[in-house]
Amino acid sequence: MAKMGSLKTSYKEDMALFQNTWVKVWLGILIAGLVICPYFVSNYQLSILNEMAVAVIGALGLNLLIGYTGQISLGHAAFIAIGAYTTALLTGDLGLPFVVSLPLSGAMAAVLGMIVGVPALRLKGLYLALGTLAFGFIVEYVIFHWDLTRGDLGMAVPAISVAGFEINTERQYFHLTAVMAVLATIVAKNVTRSKIGRCFTAIRDRDIAAEAMGIPLAKYKIMAFAISSFYAGIAGCLMAHYQRWIVPGSFDIHQSIAFIAMIVLGGLGTILGAVLGAILITAIPHAIVYATDLFKDSYPVFGGLIVDFKLGIFGLIVVLFLLFEPHGLAGIYRRTKLYWKTWPFRY
Amino acid sequence: MRAGRIILSLVLAAALCLMAAGVRAAEVRGVTDTEVKIACLVDFTGPGKYAGVPISDAFKDYVAWINDTGGVNGRKIKLIVEDNGILPPTTMQAAKKVILKDNVFAIAFNLGTAGSSAILPLCEENQVVMMPHGANKVFYDPGNKWVFVPHTVQFSMACRAVEYILGKNPKARIGMIYQDDGFGREGLEGATAAAKFMKSEIVKAMPYKTDTIDFSPHMSAMKEAKVDWIVLWTYLPQSAAIIKEKVKMGWDVKLISNNTTGVPPLFGLVKELADGYLLVTPYAPAHTDLPGIKKAKEINKKYGDFAKQLGNPMYPDYLYLAAWGYIAATVEGLRKAGKNLTPESFVAGLESVKDFDMGGMCPNITFGPKRHVSSFSSLVLRADGKKMQFVIEDELKEPKTPQQ
Repeated sequence: MAKMGSLKTSYKEDMALFQNTWVKVWLGILIAGLVICPYFVSNYQLSILNEMAVAVIGALGLNLLIGYTGQISLGHAAFIAIGAYTTALLTGDLGLPFVVSLPLSGAMAAVLGMIVGVPALRLKGLYLALGTLAFGFIVEYVIFHWDLTRGDLGMAVPAISVAGFEINTERQYFHLTAVMAVLATIVAKNVTRSKIGRCFTAIRDRDIAAEAMGIPLAKYKIMAFAISSFYAGIAGCLMAHYQRWIVPGSFDIHQSIAFIAMIVLGGLGTILGAVLGAILITAIPHAIVYATDLFKDSYPVFGGLIVDFKLGIFGLIVVLFLLFEPHGLAGIYRRTKLYWKTWPFRY
Repeated sequence: MRAGRIILSLVLAAALCLMAAGVRAAEVRGVTDTEVKIACLVDFTGPGKYAGVPISDAFKDYVAWINDTGGVNGRKIKLIVEDNGILPPTTMQAAKKVILKDNVFAIAFNLGTAGSSAILPLCEENQVVMMPHGANKVFYDPGNKWVFVPHTVQFSMACRAVEYILGKNPKARIGMIYQDDGFGREGLEGATAAAKFMKSEIVKAMPYKTDTIDFSPHMSAMKEAKVDWIVLWTYLPQSAAIIKEKVKMGWDVKLISNNTTGVPPLFGLVKELADGYLLVTPYAPAHTDLPGIKKAKEINKKYGDFAKQLGNPMYPDYLYLAAWGYIAATVEGLRKAGKNLTPESFVAGLESVKDFDMGGMCPNITFGPKRHVSSFSSLVLRADGKKMQFVIEDELKEPKTPQQ
């Protein structure tokens, strides 16, 4: 008979990264799938998967800040821009290798994230949201007007080259972005199950109580901004090299909102939620493209309607999720898992 | 033994996959013996959505006409019109879709400068010729093998505007109000270059944020600077707001603008106040009876909805005609590429287009190996407030200011 639950008899078991054998098996299947899928899907589908992998990294970072620490940020796209422009300047203008520019892009975003985190010590809720939004506008303005960043026509970014091997094809990029997304997920999971993660959660749940328990708010709030921005910087760096050209218009408020939608729809405060949300939000425009193509020839009017209402469709999905599934995709996953675990019983 | 068989099977499978990939690589994307796929990326949902419909109308009409008359070198054109939302991220998605999913041979139109910049590496990587529409000097100077610009760019038009002013009055004090983006700055660059070339200067230049509607500070600053001409590198709503502000101030300053404002809806916004408003554009108004315009109207009557399109006095005709130039250049390039159509032969075909007759609708199209922009010439149009239409004030001319 299958076990109805998992009894943990030690802290080590409770804190394990892989809670049981099934988790390891499923992860093995997922990794095997990631390894072989580039050989079975088209270049277009691979390009969508690449977008998803980069979005996963960005969403994981934002989820650590908003979902785990409760610090709202509307400026996430700005940190992605900082990562993207840092690597463009380092690899394009200074000729530094990608292996150097990748951590430096994350570090540059993290340093600026820490600076933004300082006002967060005094700001909460809407005021913090406005502060981060203002930061986003400032970054957009600077990259738009600074000669170094070449204004709104943007700048070229060289292809990734590691030890003389150049990454050019969608498949090669997928291997890189998938590895980075998996690494980012493992690191995020480790952060959340460490002392740092518990401090983040305590601050989110009640910051005064957390401080009373001896958690230094300033240190952990700034740390949350730094880690979140580091993730965004890495995502920006990968995105820049993948797209090979960056323009300020790619990092506007819409992108920040898209990242918030990812973590909200995925499920705030869960690693799985950030991953699923990033996949869903990235997939929606492409699903609309597929739907439009499907109906374009047989029902041209319907196909045209989808184009007219595609922004509305996106918004409708978000609203429906917020109304009917506030715990997001992670909530659906949890319920489904529980259903099968307890089947045929209801509890 | 069993493991050996599995390894052998895997090696064979991999070899078959590689062979299949090799066979695919030998084909030319988007080209068969009977068909060539061409994409047109326009905005139906973003800030430039007013342009999407007329541009796609022109593409649909022209392609229907070409296909009806036998196609190009025996191939029919399959047109794929895709919404690019004009912004860089949405343009990137649209370009990926048409290149990687629909396998188009070329992107014969992409609306938006920043979006065109963003998709350039994707086009280069996949050897897809791209024709951007926007502020385009950056796309031909320095040139790019895969980019062709089949119209006069903002830089050249701004040069023409300033040269026109200084031709009328060499001592004119010129001010400029420009949109603070690539489009406006290219206009400023052209105006400044022409003023310098003509040994004059832009005495006052003021940028504005894209959505600005209140221009009282800008106009007051222009008045303080005692300018007698203002060059506007603005979009339609901003030009209308400036015309209204000028009238409100009771100031008889002369205004000259760019092609984007040369559309009949300007009269809907400011009515007879538009009288005397000048603009520089490569496209003649659709109400003229130039041979190129007549031909476009005939084709539009046959394949489009003439009453709602070129037959409609409020239709944004310049967008239709601009798109006409793009698809005409593409088709001529395909024709010159010959039966053996490849990205390389298409580039060579386009580079061999010389003085392709546009019947006065816009400058004739000429490309070359070192020139991927079709023309530097433009007309000056004047708004006739009584007739509510634009009339030709000055013929097609190329600026004297160096363009490359």
